[in-house]
This record gives sequence, structure tokens and C-alpha cells, in this order.
Amino acid sequence: MEKVIIVRYCEIHLKGKNRGYFEQIFMNNLEKALSGIRHEIRRPSGRYVVENFDESRTDEIADRLRKVFGVHSLSIGTKVKADMEEIFREILRISPDSGSFKIQTNRADKHFPLDSMQINAALGGRLLENKPALHVDVREPDTVLHVDIRENGTALVFEGIIKGAGGMPVGTAGKGMLLLSGGIDSPVAGYMIAKRGMRLECVHFHSYPYTNMQAREKVEELARILSGYTGGLTLHVVSVTHIQEEIHKKCPEEMMITLLRRFMMRIAEKLCENTGAQCIVTGESLGQVASQTIEGMTSSNAVVNNVPVLRPLVGFDKTEIIERAREIGTYETSVLPYEDCCTVFLPKHPLIKPKLEKVEQAEAALDVNGLITEAFSSMETLTI
Amino acid sequence: MIYLDNAATTRPDEGSVREAMRYIGEDFFNPSAMYKEGFAVHKRMDEARKNILTNIADPSKFDLVFTSCGSEADNQAVFSCARRGNFVTTEGEHAAIYQAAAELARRGVEVRFAKLDRYGGADEEDLLRLVDEKTSLVSVIHVNNETGAVNDIASVAKRVKAKNPRTFFHSDGVQAFGKIPFRMTGEIDFYSVSAHKIGGVRGAGALVRNKAKNLFPFVFGGGQESGYRSGTENTFAIMQFEAAARKKFRTLTEDLDRVKSFNGLFRRELDGKIFAILSAENASPYILSVSARGLRGEVLLHMLNDRGVLVGTGSACSSKNRYSRVILACGADERTADGVLRISFSAATTEEECREAVSIINACAGELAERTR
Repeated sequence: MEKVIIVRYCEIHLKGKNRGYFEQIFMNNLEKALSGIRHEIRRPSGRYVVENFDESRTDEIADRLRKVFGVHSLSIGTKVKADMEEIFREILRISPDSGSFKIQTNRADKHFPLDSMQINAALGGRLLENKPALHVDVREPDTVLHVDIRENGTALVFEGIIKGAGGMPVGTAGKGMLLLSGGIDSPVAGYMIAKRGMRLECVHFHSYPYTNMQAREKVEELARILSGYTGGLTLHVVSVTHIQEEIHKKCPEEMMITLLRRFMMRIAEKLCENTGAQCIVTGESLGQVASQTIEGMTSSNAVVNNVPVLRPLVGFDKTEIIERAREIGTYETSVLPYEDCCTVFLPKHPLIKPKLEKVEQAEAALDVNGLITEAFSSMETLTI
Repeated sequence: MIYLDNAATTRPDEGSVREAMRYIGEDFFNPSAMYKEGFAVHKRMDEARKNILTNIADPSKFDLVFTSCGSEADNQAVFSCARRGNFVTTEGEHAAIYQAAAELARRGVEVRFAKLDRYGGADEEDLLRLVDEKTSLVSVIHVNNETGAVNDIASVAKRVKAKNPRTFFHSDGVQAFGKIPFRMTGEIDFYSVSAHKIGGVRGAGALVRNKAKNLFPFVFGGGQESGYRSGTENTFAIMQFEAAARKKFRTLTEDLDRVKSFNGLFRRELDGKIFAILSAENASPYILSVSARGLRGEVLLHMLNDRGVLVGTGSACSSKNRYSRVILACGADERTADGVLRISFSAATTEEECREAVSIINACAGELAERTR
């Protein structure tokens, strides 16, 4: 008797001739998620089975697997000999003492002497004899007891299904550069885009000495949480202190955020070139703050020439974003009170509808290329 | 590195650490053990207790209960004495009293805060007005940890007791102990001290107690510390506390003069166009609070950090707790509160360090003013 975890995937089966490619990446991601824990992953048709692991770490393994994109669901079960007596003993062990149930058998081994219906009937009948407070309900049972007769002379017995993260395996949809602030939105944006299979690198902008070490630590922690879903992350940390000081000195106060965003976009695009990322991902949501208006987005898009800017949260309400942040576990960290972009320079009345022409005029006072080169020279790259 | 954050913690005195090492080495025994070795440690600990106490009180009238830190001593006093009626304290208390008071309020005890003067000292008249026949405890910080303001607690205690003799009087003496001359008087019932502000290690504090006043224990268990504070004693930290205190009290007067000269140097040499001095002339010279009005203290702290000068601040790059409540309670506006730096000295500080630090602080503040103008 040995514990196993059955992993079912979603959407990969849609991929026709590319299916092998998707499955290979998915397998690698599962392996990566379990790195550091002894295990074996087998691949009978239609699903993956994790075996031969330290059973005291079952919950931890399930938790790590649950977060891998492409996982539809998991079940924790037991592997027994494909023998009715042994299967029944396990059914007896895991079944509740009362309520309704049904047995659902899947028979991959067509040489097994009984067919699925016969197995259901035989096991169900014996279970009713042993636990008289149980009754059968095939339509809406409280408990479904699954039996999987495999082709290698073993059977998997399990009850209960843990919902997985869904989506597509990370790495099957290219690579993006996520602008990761310390806020609530950007980690959620990263999560959503990674869920569709995109590998991520992150860039964080800080304004030390105007921001502190705790703010930086917080962003690293957010990247760590996100990396639990993406299987590792690269975080680029760039200082925009001097850029902000220059804007503060030479440009109209209300344009601080508009101009700063343009610098961030330029730096992000350059990082895309350097790292092979194919798009910029931001956590903007239309109208959420003054800089996230369509005019603000137009102004920042105008400096990005060669890659698309993806804004997966553009149509989300704040409450929806918070809900997601709670689900993925970034909320508690995001709301730590350290300031991420310095409020020393925060204008009292930021421009809500910047006109591109005016923005470009104001920016002419700055040595844009020089400042970007300087920012790059300050860059640190961390592997999370 | 020039360390000017001695009100946060001091560098442990190395000789005392060496001296006390035997209590985590050869004499590691549990002081409650019944064999000779354990009893010997117990005896030494009681000597240490008496020696620390004698520095500020008459051991025939006062006792000392070891705790893990100053905050624990404060909490012990508050939750033991302010169980009913009202609790009178000041707006200038350390968080250990202030937050304990907030908790008391949640538990239904009325809490009254006395106002501060502009330097952070308690407004004595206001405090006395708040005391009535239902006041169970009055707690007044001895030396304010942010501005260095010294409250004349002997006089306050006397006046409080004249108004209500049944009221307990407690003072947080963490920033005063071993730094400014002081003796316990009959009207002061409890007094909190801490080792690590005077060259001790963290892990030892104490509540000095008038022998006639009982405490309700906070920690229950094996009945150590006369039942007032159960838990196996941290003999290493206690013995090291004793040795550090012995040294500190021996040189208290000369240290005070030395630190006064550093404090004076900062008052004279800090750029008056940028910095306003918040601490009173007669404050504890160990603490000097200044404000670079219009600049942000924490930003300055980071710049100084990069130039090798370590100071404290009263503000933070944080949306919560942005301003120090004590500095605001002194009547400072937000711009002043935003720019606060706390410079705190020890006798180990040198004049050369002070001169260098002043010039770096002036330079950084000037640079920041220029960068953010």
C-alpha cells in the first residue's frame, strides 16, 4: 500500500499535434515544483501520477502541485494490487461511516475479469454490508470513491478532488516582463498572465534613499510568492531616484507620474530586448488612479515601439483584484505599509488626462537617454 | 561606522560579556536546582540583584524582579496595578506603556493621558488634574526616549500620593538608569530598567519594586523571582547586566559630562538653517532630537547610513506610523515631525566621531535639500 497523487491537466488535450511539446513542458514544471523532495512522476494515459515520495510530506507536495499552471485537479490516493480483496479493504478504510456514496471505476486494463459496472456493484454491495448507515446515490452522492484499474497490475483508490490552478503550463506561451511594484495589482497581473502559460521576468523600480530596505524586501517576497506559481523568477531591480529628482527639478509638478511611467516603460522595453521577453505586463486597471486613464496609457504606450503592453487587469474592479490577491496569497504582503515609489515627489494634483504633445514637450527638458543609461548601470538582477 | 543610535541599543560591554560567559559555560546550572552547583548560581544571582538595585535604591526598602526586557517590566507594572478605576499616564510614554494602556482601555479600564510641554516633558499640572480617588496607577516616563526630556518623577510621585495615597506610582526608567543621577524615593512604587541601554546584552530587564507593594504575576510557572516572574532565569544576561551596570554607575558623572560636551557640539555645529533643535536644554544629554524641517527623516537616515553614520529617526517611509506620536504631542507640525532625527550618544562615542558625524549630517541634509528643492 503506497500513497500516490493523481494529477489531471486541462486544455493540453486541445493542442493536437503540439500536444507532446505541451506535455513535456508541463512535466518539467511538475518536476521543478517538487524539486528538493524525493518523488517519481509517471505518465499513464490522460494524467500524471506522483509516486514513491515521503508520505509525511503528502500535503506539502499536493500544495506545490496544486499551484502549477496546467493542473486541473489533484487527488491523493493509494496504490494497491489490482485485486478485488485489496481494493475493497482500501475502499472500506477511506469511506465515511454514513451518508450517500457511489463507486466510480475506470478500467484501463481490459483484461481485468470484471468490467467497470460489475466492480462498482461488487464493491458497493460489500461496503453497504459493512457500513449499514451508508446508502447509494449515483446522482448526487456526498462521497465518490474512485477506483482506477491500471494496466500494470495495480489499482489506484481515492476519494476527493483538490482543485488545481488551471491554465496552461508556464513556458508554453513565451516570456513577458512584468512591472512589479509593491502594490496589490501587479502580482495579480503577473499571476494571470503566467496562468496562460507565459514565463515571467520582473522589473522593480525603487527610489532609495527615498524608499527603504523593507520596501525592497517586500517586493522580493512578492516575487517569491509569485515564483511558487511560475517555477522560478528573475527580478531586476532598478533605481529611478535620479530620474525622479530630474523630473522634479525640470518638469511641471503634475507630470511626475506620467513622465516617470514613460521612463519605466522605456527601461522595461530595453530589458525585453536584453532578455528575450516578448511583451511588457503591467497591473494597470482602467481609471483606478490618476495615471491609469486611457490618456495616461496612451502616453506611456507611446514610448514602447517594438513589443505589446499587456494589461490583464484593465477591466477589473479593485475588489475583484483584491479577491484574487487573497486567493493567490500575495495580499497580506502587498498591504504592508512601506512606500514603494517615493511620495516625497508625489504631486498634489497629478495630471489625469495628459496630452501626449504636452508630455513630450515637458520631457524635452530631460536627458532621457543619459538617465536611462544611468538607471541601467544601477540595475541588480536576482534569481528568485 | 559612527554609531549614534545608543538610545535604541548600546554595544555590549566586552569585559562584562567575558565575565558573564561562565554562566553559559562552566556554571550553566539552573539556579532552582537543589544541588550545590545550582544553589551557587542562585546565590550569585541574588548578589547581582542586590548590586544592581543598590545603584539606585535602598535594598532594605526595595526589591528587584528580573524580567526579559524593559517592555516586560512596564507591562508587568501596568497590568498588575491598573486593574480597576482609571489609569493616568502621559502622551510621552514609550510604546510599552502606551500600547499597554490601549489594551487596558479595550478591557474597560479608563485611561487618561496628560499633555506634554513642547520639549516632550509631562505637563505636571495637567497630570495632577487627572488623578482622582479612583486612580489605580500613575505611570510617568523618567527620560523620554525620543526627546530626552527629563520628568522630575520624585516630585510628581509625591504630589500624586498627596492627592491619592492609594494610587500606585510607576516610572519607565529605561533611558535614565545608569545615565542620570537618581535614587528611588518612598513615593515611587515601581521603576522599569533595561540592561541593553547601558552596555548590557538584550534579554535582561528588571522591575524595581517597593517591598511594601505587591504585584500580580504576569507569567505563571515554577515560581522564580519570588513568584512574581516564573521562568528559568537568564543567568548569563543577568550577570552581564550586573557587571555592565557596575561599570556604568562608577563613571556616571564623568560620562554625563563627556556626553554633555558631545550634545553641545551637535547643538552648536548642526546647520541652523536646516535643523531645529527639539530637545530642551536641560534634557538628558544622551538624547538629542532635531528636525530638518521639510525634509524626511528616514530619507536622511538612509543617506547617512550610506556615509557610515547610524542615527535614529522619528518618522518612517510608511503610510502607517508616519509621524512620531510623541513629537506631534509636543505640538510640532507635520513638516517638523517628518524631518526628525534622533541622535543618541554613549560614553564610548568620541569627540572626533562627533565632529565627523556633524559634518556628514550637515552635508547630507544640504544635499537632500538641494536634490528635492
